[in-house]
Amino acid sequence: MKSWAGLENSSFFDASARERALGMVDKGTFTELLNPLDRYCSPHLPVLGTAVEFDDGIVTGVGLLGKHPVFVVSMEGKFIGGAIGEVNGAKMVSTIRLALKAAKSIKEKHPNDYDDRRPLVAISFETGGVRLHEANAGLLAHAEVMDAFQDCRGTVPIVAVVGSKVGCFGGMGFVAAATDVIVMNEEGRIGLTGPEVIEQEMGKEEFDASDKALVYRTTGAKHKYIIQDCNYLVEDRVGDFHNVLAEVADMPMAEIEKMRRIGSLKLVQEQQELVKLVGDMQPKDSMDIWKHFGNKKPEALPEMSTAEFLKVVKRRKRP
Amino acid sequence: MDELDNTMIGRGRDAIEMIVDANSFDENHIEGFEFDPEYGPGSVVGTAKIDGQTVTIIANDAQAFNDRFPVVFGGVIGLEEGYKMATAVYRTLEADKDKPLAEKRPVILIVDTPGNGPGKMEEIAGMNKSTGGYQLALAEARKTGHPIVAMVIGRAISGAFLCHGLQADHILALSKDFGTMIHVMPTTSVSRITKMDIERLEELSKSNPVFAAGVEFFYKLGGVQEIVENVEGMRDAVIRHIKEIAAMKAEGKSELLGPWGRGILGSKRGGRTNRMDTIAKMNEEFDVVADKYINA
Repeated sequence: MKSWAGLENSSFFDASARERALGMVDKGTFTELLNPLDRYCSPHLPVLGTAVEFDDGIVTGVGLLGKHPVFVVSMEGKFIGGAIGEVNGAKMVSTIRLALKAAKSIKEKHPNDYDDRRPLVAISFETGGVRLHEANAGLLAHAEVMDAFQDCRGTVPIVAVVGSKVGCFGGMGFVAAATDVIVMNEEGRIGLTGPEVIEQEMGKEEFDASDKALVYRTTGAKHKYIIQDCNYLVEDRVGDFHNVLAEVADMPMAEIEKMRRIGSLKLVQEQQELVKLVGDMQPKDSMDIWKHFGNKKPEALPEMSTAEFLKVVKRRKRP
Repeated sequence: MDELDNTMIGRGRDAIEMIVDANSFDENHIEGFEFDPEYGPGSVVGTAKIDGQTVTIIANDAQAFNDRFPVVFGGVIGLEEGYKMATAVYRTLEADKDKPLAEKRPVILIVDTPGNGPGKMEEIAGMNKSTGGYQLALAEARKTGHPIVAMVIGRAISGAFLCHGLQADHILALSKDFGTMIHVMPTTSVSRITKMDIERLEELSKSNPVFAAGVEFFYKLGGVQEIVENVEGMRDAVIRHIKEIAAMKAEGKSELLGPWGRGILGSKRGGRTNRMDTIAKMNEEFDVVADKYINA
């Protein structure tokens, strides 16, 4: 394993779930909860003749950003595509609920400087959603996560961090959408229906899943940034993600609330405007939408570096 | 009677009439708010009376097509549908915002949906926000005190079930004799994607509740509170569960309802064997180090 400083300067995209967990919080502060030595693995995989991992493909634990306890969930795409089953789903739900429990203790013990110590949940998504080997338990776990998110509203900020190989799809695509803040690198992708399924539904002429550039334009970070789903687009460096998380941890809750995309009638109405635009325009490609929002040469955007892109990009105006 | 005669698949509007008081359903109205009848035709929202009590109804219309979004048919929840359903929940919250807990009107979800809109335009606009937005609205209404009952009459499939059903307080389902389907994916597709042997999967799907498709397996996992044995029983079951949920909320037992309550029920029924233990161990390990983080 790299040193913490080495980790901060390395690629987020290439980092393992455990490296991401360590690197998102301050140096030397991460305690893993249910680490691989505890051997909480899936009892359902051996029945199907599939190998287990001793952490069930999710790293969970707690670290610090300044005085803020950070409750971390980090998914490992190399293990069954980061998919969610009974045990790793329970680890995820439990981590979020621990953040709420910590918030309550801090309010009691430190009523005068609660804001400096307010907990944060950071979830590094790398998943296709439900693990088919134990699909029913995985499905129910998704609902529990959404339920726990609603409990955190206005008390504990939840940040989605998306920048790993598998992206964030299936049920976890809407879980990410339901967080307060979304941070992505250029390689990050968020969606509901994966490209292969869209191709199957619509035909190859409409959507060619092997066209990586098209797939990226449809669900990739630059598109998400333009339509204001992604709040921070950062360079592919673990330290950049760490810095954004530290910034969010210190922000007033009211500022964080403004970064949400769903979760109130007002936000639903705002999204309905975007749906109306898409329904009226019937775009063949995300670039049609980029152009509508004022990007005169949309075809130039995918090729730009993150820094160049951030300089010139025009985003959807929020009301 | 064979399955084709008695199935409720595709009959969301009929189910509304079977469950609510006669001629009480007022479509596209919730208190003072009026919905555009052209918008999100794959979902049906409105106000009705059940046993004399005012309720909000949210259902799927599997007969409808959405001209603007062609992937929406057969009960698919598309972009417009998800936001329409979310709006119905928020208008319900608003209608009763000054009323005491006991007077928060119930929300009845009538579930028959095969999926969320799977298209290019859906991904460009962000279908994940539509389905996620509806779920957050339901979770908020449930936590505010509105009793929410989901009645699965046909298909409750994967992400669409998460969207329309799994945030309810209690979930009821017609028995499998009516062709009711609850699953993430059919076994044949699981086999194709995971490359696991279809015969082995089919054998397992007869007995393994975390893997198998079907109402009775979701019952064992706590995902379905009660299986309703016949169509005529739906109305009484819904009325009974509204009362039960309202009583539990009045007694402060909300933790036994909704997704978290279903987890507890799944342990009791022996379907989810490792969840509770995992959560308990997480809590135990955090308690050991909590001081370092809470008093940093």
